[in-house]
Amino acid sequence: MTGRARARARGRPPAQGTAPPAVGAATAQETLPGQLPRSTKPQQPLAVSPVPEESAGRGRQRQTRNVPQGQKERKPEGLQIAAEFQELSLSDRGGRRRDFHDLGVNTRQTIKHVQESKTGTSGSVIKLVANYFRVMSRPQWALYQYHVGYNPEMEARRLRSALLFQHEKLIGKTHAFDGSLLFLPRKLDNKVTEVFSRTRNGEDVKITITLTNELPPSSPACLQFYNIIFRRILKMLNLQQIGRNYYNPNDSITIPDHRVVVWPGFTSSILQYEENIMLCADISYKVLRSETVLDFMYSLYYQVEESRFRDACAKELIGVIVLTKYNNKTYRIDDIDWGGNPQHTFRKADGSEISFVDYYKRQYNQEITDLNQPVLVSQPKRRAISLPGPVILIPELCFLTGLTEKMRNDFNMMKDLSIHTRLPPEQRQHEIRKLRDYIQNDENVQKELQDWGLNFDSHLLSFPGRVVQGEKILQSGNVFDYNPQFADWSKETRGAPLICPKPLDNWLLIYTRRNYDVANTLVQNLFKVTPSMGIKMKQATMIEVDDRTEAYQRALQQSITPDTKIAVCVLSSSRKDKYDAIKKYLCTDCPIPSQCVLARTLSKPQTAMAVATKIALQMNCKMGGELWTVEIPLKQVMIVGIDCYHDTCAGKQSIAGFVASMNQTMTRWFSRCAVQTRGQELVDGLKACLQTALREWFKWNKCLPSRVIVYRDGVGDGQLSTLVSYEVPQFLDCLKSVGRDYNPRLTVIVVKKRLNTRFFAQCGEALKNPPPGTVVDVQVTRPEWYDFFIVSQAVRNGCVSPTHYNVVYDTSKLQPDHIQRLTYKLCHMYYNWPGVIRVPAPCQYAHKLAFLVGQSIHKEPNLQLSDRLYYL
Amino acid sequence: MDKNFKEGQFQGTIKFTPPLSKQRYQFIKDLVAKYRPKKVADLGCADCKLLWMLKFCSCIEVLVGLDISASIMREKMHMLSPLPVDYLQPTERSLTVTLYHGSVAHKDPCMLGFDLVTCIEVIEHLEESELNKFPEVVFGFMAPSIVVISTPNVEFNTLLPGVTSFRHPDHKFEWNRAQFQSWALETARRYDYSVEFTGVGHSPRGMENIGFCTQIGVFLRKCPQTGGFAPSDKSSETVYKTVFKAVYPSLKDEKYLQNTLVGEVVFTAQIIKQSLLNHLMSEREERNDNTTERKAQLQPCFSKDTRKLGVEKSMEPFVKGNVVYVPLKTIFSFPKVNQLCGTFEKLCKLIAGKVKLSSGGYVLLLSTEHEDG
Repeated sequence: MTGRARARARGRPPAQGTAPPAVGAATAQETLPGQLPRSTKPQQPLAVSPVPEESAGRGRQRQTRNVPQGQKERKPEGLQIAAEFQELSLSDRGGRRRDFHDLGVNTRQTIKHVQESKTGTSGSVIKLVANYFRVMSRPQWALYQYHVGYNPEMEARRLRSALLFQHEKLIGKTHAFDGSLLFLPRKLDNKVTEVFSRTRNGEDVKITITLTNELPPSSPACLQFYNIIFRRILKMLNLQQIGRNYYNPNDSITIPDHRVVVWPGFTSSILQYEENIMLCADISYKVLRSETVLDFMYSLYYQVEESRFRDACAKELIGVIVLTKYNNKTYRIDDIDWGGNPQHTFRKADGSEISFVDYYKRQYNQEITDLNQPVLVSQPKRRAISLPGPVILIPELCFLTGLTEKMRNDFNMMKDLSIHTRLPPEQRQHEIRKLRDYIQNDENVQKELQDWGLNFDSHLLSFPGRVVQGEKILQSGNVFDYNPQFADWSKETRGAPLICPKPLDNWLLIYTRRNYDVANTLVQNLFKVTPSMGIKMKQATMIEVDDRTEAYQRALQQSITPDTKIAVCVLSSSRKDKYDAIKKYLCTDCPIPSQCVLARTLSKPQTAMAVATKIALQMNCKMGGELWTVEIPLKQVMIVGIDCYHDTCAGKQSIAGFVASMNQTMTRWFSRCAVQTRGQELVDGLKACLQTALREWFKWNKCLPSRVIVYRDGVGDGQLSTLVSYEVPQFLDCLKSVGRDYNPRLTVIVVKKRLNTRFFAQCGEALKNPPPGTVVDVQVTRPEWYDFFIVSQAVRNGCVSPTHYNVVYDTSKLQPDHIQRLTYKLCHMYYNWPGVIRVPAPCQYAHKLAFLVGQSIHKEPNLQLSDRLYYL
Repeated sequence: MDKNFKEGQFQGTIKFTPPLSKQRYQFIKDLVAKYRPKKVADLGCADCKLLWMLKFCSCIEVLVGLDISASIMREKMHMLSPLPVDYLQPTERSLTVTLYHGSVAHKDPCMLGFDLVTCIEVIEHLEESELNKFPEVVFGFMAPSIVVISTPNVEFNTLLPGVTSFRHPDHKFEWNRAQFQSWALETARRYDYSVEFTGVGHSPRGMENIGFCTQIGVFLRKCPQTGGFAPSDKSSETVYKTVFKAVYPSLKDEKYLQNTLVGEVVFTAQIIKQSLLNHLMSEREERNDNTTERKAQLQPCFSKDTRKLGVEKSMEPFVKGNVVYVPLKTIFSFPKVNQLCGTFEKLCKLIAGKVKLSSGGYVLLLSTEHEDG
């Protein structure tokens, strides 16, 4: 579901402060009231937002940032500098500042049995290439940080620089200086150096240069420094920065049919990996639209009725990221103020009132032609506390970026797009290498790198990975092997009896008059496909309704009896309101499983049987049936999957889906969700979920699980430390509260799908996608984590994306190999897809549940359904 | 008169609102609005702030900055790069921004032919030898139509708190009004310019005799540039080093024009197609309300209601089979397309090969296939 990534990308709870130091941080100690090197500060000093509160100086922001904002965790003193540095790299554009790489969260040190080794052993070796370049530095390379003091005190930064660099011989040509902190690639002879400079009007100034820090290459501060240097380089290559990545407008691809422009570019980061500091570079595409928000509103106005116009605007625009005509910032539209217009005034930083029209005319020479357009409201994300007040934007001056929901659902549009953006492995690797070539071939860039004593390996990283053996699919006494190349067993298991078929004997089929034929055909086809599965089926109660939401609702209300097993609705369009109404009613007020299906899906004769098979399986799961299993050697283990959905519209609530296994074969699941309202932590709800899950488990198994393994999806970049310091202790608390003698082993694994990491399998000269079951736990993993990658799914087009697993807490004492194998096994257990998926099944179930609740139901479904996969 | 500063409790503390530097830049912007120069150079551009403000002025097509310190220019030079939006919606005007590393005491042919040269708070930083060469380089060699020079008025210093000698340690001198004006008049006379004196930063009431805080001389060249000066006269070696150069996307560049035009043409055609299909659909539904045929096969049929799109009868779009035919004349009649290409011939030439056209080349073909959902 594409909507998901988007929903998640938009709403994330704010990340918490910096976590404990990383392994390499040993020497990053001293605290200085440091300023940031100005060169990397935002580039638009005049780009004052038209809202007064926004225009307060950066200094103020920084001050308030150092105050922990309602967080219990205290920031260790020694990390002040590293924190400053983090800001530095991320504040490059004045945008959100966060440690996106979760630096300094050292979880491996707490897990005893992986201190020596965290690598698995099983499987066959495969030669892999990854999209990483080693960062090469001189031996014994370090970054030296100095404090520079002036006596008498000099105010002007320019002058401070000029005075200091009168001693260029001493300092060297390569330096980064912000007026107070000086960074050098080499060490000065003395720890404290005093020099004298003379101003042009003859005043003598004593300059004291004191060594405050020697930063080893792997220290967080140093890594941030690399990233800054690298950003500089990307700018030198004339790439355009949008958001966090850099794009090349000269190679843009225009798709005029959809008014869309795609910019190719790069996403990159430099980090300390297992053995080396490396640059991870991947190609990235930015979708931009050649229309302003106002253009978009106009065209929408002609498409919808007047009465629905405002709602339609809100639906299409809220959450969208816009670029402005006058600065290089991106803003997220949080609201549309229909009462506002460009003639309204605001108070400038100097206290004077000015209208938006006049401001933009005077400041940027931007003509606003439509004086009656509403204004857009963007809430600054993290500064909300120190700088209240939203940013007001003018639709006419804002350009849309990214895809709207509507575009995502437009098959043709996505097809056109994927032609350009889905590159096969060979081509992708070629594009990635381009970055390296750009760097290699640009004289200025080479000089900059040499000055700092840095360079990049000319080859992509290659190393061995392992392909673990495929699983056997067990289904009612039958054992199936599947072709590992496709990781799909739909053909193999066709016609085989299910583990637990549920009779389809009392069910409703609701359709409109127009769809009578397809509904009828569906029943006929179900009669054909169900017997071999072992499903006992009877004729449905057929109900014809008008094509209106209320008609469906009335039919459900009137026809459902306590014995109804499932209600099937044939819908004539993908209008969401009808679907939502049906789901809401059948998940809350009248809890029975339901199956909605589009008439169009059923109407194609060539796929009718396949569709009927799929629907039969899906309905069986929704009614509590079981399809297949794989061999699970672990006993008395409860597997939990958690994922979140962040609602962008309705009150911005977040929903966590929580799914826990109830039996040893992992075929039955207990599902609940936690709806988080404003001001409440999601983790409270999760705790309650875990408690009920344990109770349920006890009912099923007459004992409590001796192990609990949690797969936690939906953790944003930079949220790891929060998870480790709040959520994990809460889980432990919860387990403790069950009983005095109850002390199960807990494993918490953070699952991450949105990665820039790519693996290519080397087959002779050619590069291909690595086969499903490829496990990587060397080189590109992080030394401070117990982490690994698995490529579990197979893709037809483009490059496969590995999933990252980070075991943040583990008292299970299970060997890494076993955790890896178990994880891969669980990727086989998602019943809506007869194949291996990207994440362990419980995560996907949790996602499905959270998505349904977030999109359609908006409150917790009835608990009577919790023992079935009703949300599939 | 009192508006632009606030007087503190004590005599001698003055704060300008908006800040004096902003007032100086605003002065230049006003001047640009008045004279609408095409080529503008800022000598001593430092952190490029003035250039950044000027890049929004739509009359300017060439913007050049010169500074003695390359590193200071480098710090902020990227804010002179085009914005993503400049690529998304290229404008008619072309704009090139270039930064040079060099001295105002040296001549370089890249500074020839300018309409406006600004020199804001620069001359007081020049050593005597440089100052001596300055008039010859700027007025004699560059010889732009307008030169603006600003410098502190030392008479005002008594009102500035904490200023004992010069306002800035790097200042080599600070002139009073008489000194500046005699220097300016002499320079103007020698190079045949007229000069007017003004300034920013008014003195407080009752002390008007002190003059502006910043004094400004606006020099206008008396004889207009004799069309096409012979470059050979002025030829000299290039001594400035290019630090930064940004060429803004412009519709004058055929590549951008073509891209924009194709985008607009396809989008316009889509609108026409959509309204045509909607029209046909509603007509069809009216006619055979009871038809069992589910998949609407569009029959060859002419639409009669395209006049609302501002289309003449002779160039009506139509549907035949699975193809929508949109005459280019129809598309050309849309103002946005019309504006972009100007002539019909140019339209045909630019979109050739970029969109699917009929064999004659005057009708755009679109498939209806996507619409059966």
